[in-house]
This record gives sequence, structure tokens and C-alpha cells, in this order.
Amino acid sequence: MFWNVTLTLLSGLGTTIQIFFLTLLFALPLGLVIAFGSMSRLTPLRWLCNTLVWIVRGTPLMLQLIGFMYIPGILGNNIWDGEAGRMTATVVAFSINYACYFSVIYRGGIQGVPAGQREAAEVLGLTKQQIFFKVTLLQMIKRIVPPMSNEIITLVKDTSLARIISVYELTFTGYSFMKSSGLVWPFFYTGVFYLLFVGILTILFNLIERKLSYFR
Amino acid sequence: MAILDVQHIEKSFGATKVLKDINFSLPEGQVLAIIGSSGSGKTTLLRCLNFLETPDKGSISVRGETLFDAGDPATQRESEIRRKRLHFGLVFQNFNLFPQYTALENVTLARELMAKGEKTGESLEDIRAEGRDLLTQMGLQDRMGNYPHQLSGGQQQRVAIARALAMKPDILCFDEPTSALDPELTGEVLKVIRSLADQHTTMIIVTHEMSFARDVADHVLFMDGGVVVEEGTPEEVFGHPQQARTRQFLEKYKGD
Repeated sequence: MFWNVTLTLLSGLGTTIQIFFLTLLFALPLGLVIAFGSMSRLTPLRWLCNTLVWIVRGTPLMLQLIGFMYIPGILGNNIWDGEAGRMTATVVAFSINYACYFSVIYRGGIQGVPAGQREAAEVLGLTKQQIFFKVTLLQMIKRIVPPMSNEIITLVKDTSLARIISVYELTFTGYSFMKSSGLVWPFFYTGVFYLLFVGILTILFNLIERKLSYFR
Repeated sequence: MAILDVQHIEKSFGATKVLKDINFSLPEGQVLAIIGSSGSGKTTLLRCLNFLETPDKGSISVRGETLFDAGDPATQRESEIRRKRLHFGLVFQNFNLFPQYTALENVTLARELMAKGEKTGESLEDIRAEGRDLLTQMGLQDRMGNYPHQLSGGQQQRVAIARALAMKPDILCFDEPTSALDPELTGEVLKVIRSLADQHTTMIIVTHEMSFARDVADHVLFMDGGVVVEEGTPEEVFGHPQQARTRQFLEKYKGD
């Protein structure tokens, strides 16, 4: 029995991990694009990015998931076919949602680096790219690690929302087992999986913070 | 012949005119001190020279080459500004060292990037050797591997001076280099600047250290409200100021 539950939960965990990493893969760079857009000198672009962030942060992720999943079908073109389709819809919704949150954190990180740093680099004749990659970037990363770790840990648990569009992630599998077997312990067992996942991430983030503590 | 020639520089921020028709020239190897109260436009002037601000009017020439002319857009091309600004070095009031690099790395970073990017043919080893020499000259031979936060303000500012010197600028500018330092640390930075003056480094120093300006400068500008109110040798400006505004300003520094 225990072995059975473990195997089922592990398959659910596999899906959860997939959503997690795919979302990070797309949302981390996309967030940077949105961050630059929201700081652009072009007013329409800035406006567009800010509106996107407002809509995405202003509505529930669950609603966005439902929208991405079912609206194409209702409009007569179901682009999300089968299990793979549901998974794709999930990753798309999550990526856009998290990119918006990340963009705000990035923006804070970029604007938090004192203007004097950029000016000192400019005066030394560095190119714009060199200024970003050699001077600003690491200082920005150091600033954003704590808020990003918060957001990324939230992502681990938000993956459970995917069950609303029938993606068999960890919470869904745990719940299914509880329901079919009438046992309570699989519920707590499911929680342990999340705790371990987040525990590993916490250790990782502490490591990064320590790695970056050599400068202030 | 003057190494630097500044003509009719004007700069406004919104409705506020910060610089009104600034003219001066600086012979090679001389030290120009710019004094004046806060908000007189001294820092903006330095920032214009270093292309951190774009003047609305006027021109800036170094060794006869027009680096900037407000009336000529060809002199304002982004791609060339990077090369042109290397005629000037700038030492900031707040040092602005890069915190993630050691003292030596701060000094050599720009040169190393330039050697890699533009194939100047300089070896990294030469650049580093030169960086070590500069830091030694600043009395920081034991601090090369330290990060900025491990250094005192005076040490940080001396690293910043070495960093600026590493680019071999024609004119080294100082924007109130000791204003963020306590009196004890001020002395060590002023000593370094004085030794640069003794080696005939061309410098423009914006400062509130009146006795230092009087001592080290060949020429003094007193600015107020965006104009040069009075200029001359230190003896003229400090000893026999002609303008009432200059006398009034210097009055506050009596005994300094």
C-alpha cells in the first residue's frame, strides 16, 4: 500500500516538477523583457507592459488557467488537446503570470542599483552591454534573491492549481488516493513531498545568498 | 596652448537654468579649482565635461579637437561619445567603486574590457601590473585584494583615483572628492591629489576645501548661480577678491 501511494505521488510530483521548471524556464527571461518594457522611454510600450502586469496580478491565477484552457475551445478552436494540451495550457498561463511578478522584482532590483554605478562605468568608457553584464547585473541579482526566493517557493505550491484543468500534479494524485482508499495518511504524505521540495529550494537560495555575501 | 577650451556652456533642467554662459580654458599640466556654494552649478559643469549631461549650448574642445558642439549634431553621436569621454576622468564624491570587484579589479576592469573588446593588443598582465603600480602610488599596496566595503572612505577614494588614472585621461576631474570623508581621511586623499599636481597632472577640482584649493590650484573659478563670478590666480581670488559676492562667500571659510 505504502509503496503504491509512493509511486503514484512520485508520478504526480514529476508533473509538478515539470510545471515548476518549465514555468521558470519561460518566466525568468520573459519577466526581464517585461521589466525593461515597463521602464522604457516609449510611452505606449510602458503603458502596454504596465497594463499587462495590472491584469495578470489583478486576477486569480486559477481564473487565468481556466481562461487559457477553455476559451479557445468555446471559440471553436480547441488548441489544447489531451493531456499534453492541458499541460501546455498550464505552462503558458503560469509563465505569463509569474513573468509579471518577476518583472516587478527585476525592476526593483535594477532601479535599486545606485545611478552612480552606471555613471562611473560610463565615464570609464564601458559600453551599455558591458555596464549591464559587468557592473549592474550581479548587484541586481544580489538585491533580488530574497524576493525571488519567496516568489519561486510560492510557485511550487501554486502548481497545485493546475488540477482545476485536470492536470495530474501532486495535490491531485494525493487527493485522488485519499478519496478512493478512504485513508487520511496519504494527505500528510503529499504534504511531505512539498516540504522536501521547498526545503531543497531553501537550502539552494541560502547557498546563493552566501555566495553573494562577499560584497555589499 | 590650452589643453581644454570650454565656450558658452549653458544647461537647464526644466525651467531652471543651472549653467549660464560658462567660458574657461585650462593649460596643460595645470590645476583648476572650482569653488562656490552648493547649487552654484559646479557639479553640473563637471558632469557636462564628462558627457553625463548634455549642454544645451556651447562647445568643449580638448587639444584643439571639438568634442562637443551643441550646434553640431555630428559631435553628439552615441558611438563616439564613448571614445571622447576618455579624454576626461572623473572622481565622484561618493567614490562609486564597483562593490563586487576588488580594489585592483576596480582599477583594471575598464582597461581589460577594452583590451578584450577592441583588441588593443595590451596584455592583461601588463594592465594588472600597471594597476598594481597605481595602487602602490596611492599607498594601497596592501589593499589590492580587498573589496570596497572592507576599505575606509579615504582608501576607497584613493582606489577611485587610481581607477580614473588607469584610463590615462588628459584631464582628471574631481567632484568634491573629500565631502563624504571625515577630516582625518580627508587629509590622505588631499595628499594624493597634491602629489598628482606635483607631477603636473592636468586637473579640475570642485571642492569646499578652501585652503587646499588655494594651495594646490594654479587658477581658481568662483561660481554662483550658474555663472563664473570671479576667476584668477589663488592669490587674486582668495587674497584680493574683486566681487562682493566672492568676499561674502569666502567670509564663511575664514580660518579654514
